[in-house]
Amino acid sequence: MSSNQSIPMLMLNDIHKFYDRLEVLKGISLDVTKGELVTFVGPSGCGKTTLLRVIGGFTPFDSGEVILDGQRIDHLPPNLRDTRICFQNYALFPHMTVAENISYGLKIKKWKKNKIQERVEELLRLVKLEGLGGRMIDKLSGGQQQRVAVARALSLEPKVLLLDEPLSNLDANLRLTMRGEIRKLQERLKITTIFVTHDQFEAMSISDRIVVMKEGVIQQIGSPIEIYERPENEFIASFVGYVNFLDGVVERVDLRPDMATVSTPVGEINFVPERNFNVGDKVKLVIRPETINMSRSEPANGDNILQGEVEIGMYVGSLAKYTVQVKGERMIIDQTNPRETGIFKENEKIYLTIPKNIHVLRKN
Amino acid sequence: MRGKLGLAMFIAILSVAFMMNHAQAQNVRAYMGLSPENNVKVVNFVKEKTGISILQTFQSFGEIEAKVKSEAPNFNADMITGCGSPLAFMAKKNGWSVAYDSPEWKGMTSEFIDKEKFWFNISNFSFVLVGNRDKLKEKGYAMPKSWKELLDPKWKDQIVMPSPFSSGTANMIRFSFLALYGEEQGWKFIEALDKNIHHYTRSGNAPTDLVGRGEFLLGITSDENVKDRLDKGFPLLWAVPEEGIGYDGTFAMILKGTKVMDVCKKVIDVFGTPEFSNMMAKMGYVTPRPAPNALYGDKTPKYIKLDLGYAAEMRPKWNDVWKEKFRTEFK
Amino acid sequence: MAKAEILSIPQRNLWEKIKTFINAELIHILAAILFLLLAIFLLYPILAVLIKSIKSPDGLTLSYYAKFFVKGYYFQSLLNTLMLGFINTVVCLTVGFCMAYLTTRGPLSLRKPLKFIAMMPLIAPPYLFAISLIILFGRNGILTMALGLKWSIYGFSGVVIAQTLAFIPLAYLMIENTLMSLNPNLEESAYDLGASETRIIRTITIPLLAPGILKAGLLVFVMTIAEFGNAAILGGRTPFLAPDTYQMIIGEADFEMGSVLSVILIIPCIIIFFLHSYLLTGKKFTTIGGKPVASEPRKMTPLVKIPFLIISCLAGLVILISFGVVFISSFTRLLGVKNEIVFSHILNFDSNRAIYNSIQVSLIAAFIGAIIGTLLAYVIVRGKFFGRTFIEMVSLSGFALPGTVIGIGYLLAFNTPPIKLTGGIMILALNCVFRFLAVGVEAGISKLHQINIEIEEASADLGANFMTTFYKIVLPIMFPAFIAGFIYTFMTAIVSLSAVVFLVSPGFELAAVKIFDAAAYGEIGIASATTMKLVVIVIFCMVILNYITKKTGFDVSQKKRSVTV
Repeated sequence: MSSNQSIPMLMLNDIHKFYDRLEVLKGISLDVTKGELVTFVGPSGCGKTTLLRVIGGFTPFDSGEVILDGQRIDHLPPNLRDTRICFQNYALFPHMTVAENISYGLKIKKWKKNKIQERVEELLRLVKLEGLGGRMIDKLSGGQQQRVAVARALSLEPKVLLLDEPLSNLDANLRLTMRGEIRKLQERLKITTIFVTHDQFEAMSISDRIVVMKEGVIQQIGSPIEIYERPENEFIASFVGYVNFLDGVVERVDLRPDMATVSTPVGEINFVPERNFNVGDKVKLVIRPETINMSRSEPANGDNILQGEVEIGMYVGSLAKYTVQVKGERMIIDQTNPRETGIFKENEKIYLTIPKNIHVLRKN
Repeated sequence: MRGKLGLAMFIAILSVAFMMNHAQAQNVRAYMGLSPENNVKVVNFVKEKTGISILQTFQSFGEIEAKVKSEAPNFNADMITGCGSPLAFMAKKNGWSVAYDSPEWKGMTSEFIDKEKFWFNISNFSFVLVGNRDKLKEKGYAMPKSWKELLDPKWKDQIVMPSPFSSGTANMIRFSFLALYGEEQGWKFIEALDKNIHHYTRSGNAPTDLVGRGEFLLGITSDENVKDRLDKGFPLLWAVPEEGIGYDGTFAMILKGTKVMDVCKKVIDVFGTPEFSNMMAKMGYVTPRPAPNALYGDKTPKYIKLDLGYAAEMRPKWNDVWKEKFRTEFK
Repeated sequence: MAKAEILSIPQRNLWEKIKTFINAELIHILAAILFLLLAIFLLYPILAVLIKSIKSPDGLTLSYYAKFFVKGYYFQSLLNTLMLGFINTVVCLTVGFCMAYLTTRGPLSLRKPLKFIAMMPLIAPPYLFAISLIILFGRNGILTMALGLKWSIYGFSGVVIAQTLAFIPLAYLMIENTLMSLNPNLEESAYDLGASETRIIRTITIPLLAPGILKAGLLVFVMTIAEFGNAAILGGRTPFLAPDTYQMIIGEADFEMGSVLSVILIIPCIIIFFLHSYLLTGKKFTTIGGKPVASEPRKMTPLVKIPFLIISCLAGLVILISFGVVFISSFTRLLGVKNEIVFSHILNFDSNRAIYNSIQVSLIAAFIGAIIGTLLAYVIVRGKFFGRTFIEMVSLSGFALPGTVIGIGYLLAFNTPPIKLTGGIMILALNCVFRFLAVGVEAGISKLHQINIEIEEASADLGANFMTTFYKIVLPIMFPAFIAGFIYTFMTAIVSLSAVVFLVSPGFELAAVKIFDAAAYGEIGIASATTMKLVVIVIFCMVILNYITKKTGFDVSQKKRSVTV
């Protein structure tokens, strides 16, 4: 799993955690490389926040190891770990100013007064809050509070920064901007960061690697592309973006050219297998809506062409979304550049082309 | 929602049910200042003989006096079934009480009945000196034989007595000492005694229990409960010091404005019966119908010569003097 | 509603007009009625005390006040009272904080038992501790004799100890409440930034709890200086204002001096009340939204845990012993002197009527109080009329009014026609209603602040008139506040002495007064037995109430907590 030769900054080994009898973390193992931004993503209750709190030292766990920079830290309380957390609600101290919030940890570490001042100013510059050091917390906007929280967490130059759904309290536009800023900051400081979110698109756009969790188990670890293009199971596939599933049975496997054929309710479909399939395997085709090509006339090249009828069409500007009936199956298709081909009308008969490099899951 | 309504209804019904439950017949509300347990004995006696329930709250004589004074003329009680002479005389003078001549009073010692029948003294009580037998023995002290002995510094903080503001007993103690020594010398005695008093209790009977429990060595206390506490086995010694003791009455009267005059009269009637006198005498009171006294026996104790009328008249002034003397200094 | 649509033209008769008027103006009508009630039953009595203290037969005078300040005795009394209040408040807050911290942050196994013990004194009259202290530490007390102590319980120190024990639960309850509502992430953040637990408590927890602690302090202070049972039983010759006031009114019918003492007693309370209100404005820290995270039991550092445990256990132990001693004493002829088991105290039924009255009064008071409190909260939050803040202030002032003052005020105000209430049961209930109103009002206000006015507007938009909206939407939402007001009033009214002691009359005596009388009188056995009966009955009532509220889907504590995974 670890991607390169250097020792990982953070290692989790087989972590188990019970609340009463309920096992909420079922043996989590994970390596995070120095400078990497790893996102924990999953539906609520999947254990992602608990795992973050385990790393931060807030939640005791039942077995396993947490290793930070080569040293076991699971016996250490949060104040002695070199990890800093930034809570979802920011948890800024409301009775202190921005500067007092940011310097809280520095004062504990007994920094000199002028050093503290320097550091606070540097951090304020870093998060673009110059001149706001004297403000009280409740006089700040949501985005500004978010920045203060990050600055405070960064103040002690932690080895790992833990962000618990940091953007969930911001409105949509601000979230987009802050997402970019956090990523830029993280890349500039090369700080190892763990980012928890339930928003899969946020995860896709910000991460080096994504950890998809469900019911206390890691479902898949991979780069955004891997997670999106080659999800390891149905859950992951449908968790990240919309997907058309087609059930089928492998009919033929050719080695040269590498090609397999599946019979599905909509007809036979050829695909380039990513691994070995045997004839008779039950499979599930994972077809992303934006990969299907639509046309009015039958394409000349004859592979994986289906006939369908437009049921509902929705024009969204950057793309057009269609629900298409294909032999009783309903498929969602995104037309990415609608201006070029023109909008399809409802009840219009059309041709669909399914790409050959689709992702196929083996069913068991 | 239904549950919430149900709960609200339940509470409402409960509350209303409690409010409704107040129509009871043959009740008479009375201020009653015997010792609480003797109050209860009297209440039970009346209930048994007549079926009338006397609703009473325990208060000391002084408190009853304060209450009646502050409520006049809208009394929250129908009658008084036990107060000291000051209030009895004051009520008559101010027209707060109603005259009633009970047919049961025949053959009674006359000074127990007001000439104009505005009040009736159901029994006299006194104050005595009590000591804790065990504790005195422990210290090697003998029970004092005279009031004068109480001035000995060895008793410092070892004596309790009631406060003359709230307690009729203490009022009696005060006017008895003033009568015994004369006013000037009397106050000097009281001031000297004060140096040895630990504190002044609210009730005239409290010193009996406090000394009985061994909290203090000596107490000047009402004689009402002494007999009972001895019977209960408290390690008590009691004495009538050689100078003698004072006395005061326990007065009953009907208050103006009562809506249950007949019931009040019945209660006064019961107080006049020989059985009632017997019961009171058994508790240690001196009754208007002579009966063998449980505490003093056949021998009449030595009484200080008193003028209750004068004492009642002087009470407000003596209270002020008391305040001047004992409520001015940093303690 | 359907009918109105069919008729389409609204009827223009008088009744319709009145109905429309009432519907439109209901909140103002309600406000007017409530204000009238507050004026009659809260402001007027206080005013009556004030007037009494400056009125002589020949006009206004300050001579009574002059007397107060000339005589050293009264000054000493004031000084003692303030000292008592101050010491008590500090100790109660400290112990209350330690206990509340342990029951909200400490080890899980400790939370429930400690909470139970901390709440125990709530259900007993405050002077239970005077009784138990006399049994244990009196001059002939069990421990005095066993250990040969020289310490005299009668005096300042005894009163302080008894009052402290009596009001720990009040401090505990209020601090626990604020501790529970404190976002645990704040403390965790400080922890994460390297702070030790002591530092977190010092720099985060206490500053953030300051408003709550201040309020708890105010309440403890007011209760301490007003509830005079302990001072009257244990004070000896040490003067305190409240028992002195009691003595003046009850013993001497000196209403003028009693009123002066009351006014003097009220001054420090009012000062603290305004100080508290002033400090609170702008200090209400709003925590930024997000899911509330229940604080997980975390490892407390021994540096904090051990002293907190010592303080809490010590207080808990003393409370337990006190209850135990009183329990034993109610079955003993004379505990420590004649240790025979007897049932005569328990079987003494003289106090039964008083206990019955107490429950009756408390239930009536709780019921009326909860209704008025809920309505007041609604009017205060939703009303938009002049004088709204004044109503709020008046209804919350119950926090700051010593019971003795309200008691005397009621005695002065309602003893003569037109409103003659003395000598009845309603005066007892009403006085409890308005004394303890503040809690229900405050619970209601905070509940209403949680719900958006849009819910009501949505209901109105759907065609419901004001009455329907109030009945269907507002009342259900405010029900927990109603229950909170009900329970607080019930529990406080049943054990409180300071006001009702002036108002009981033959046939309407109360258990709290009865116990106080017995204790002051020296009848420790009877006092203990009656206390025990009262405690059992209060527990029984609470269990029933709890059961009903649970059954109907309301957690009395209203604290739904779940551990977020």
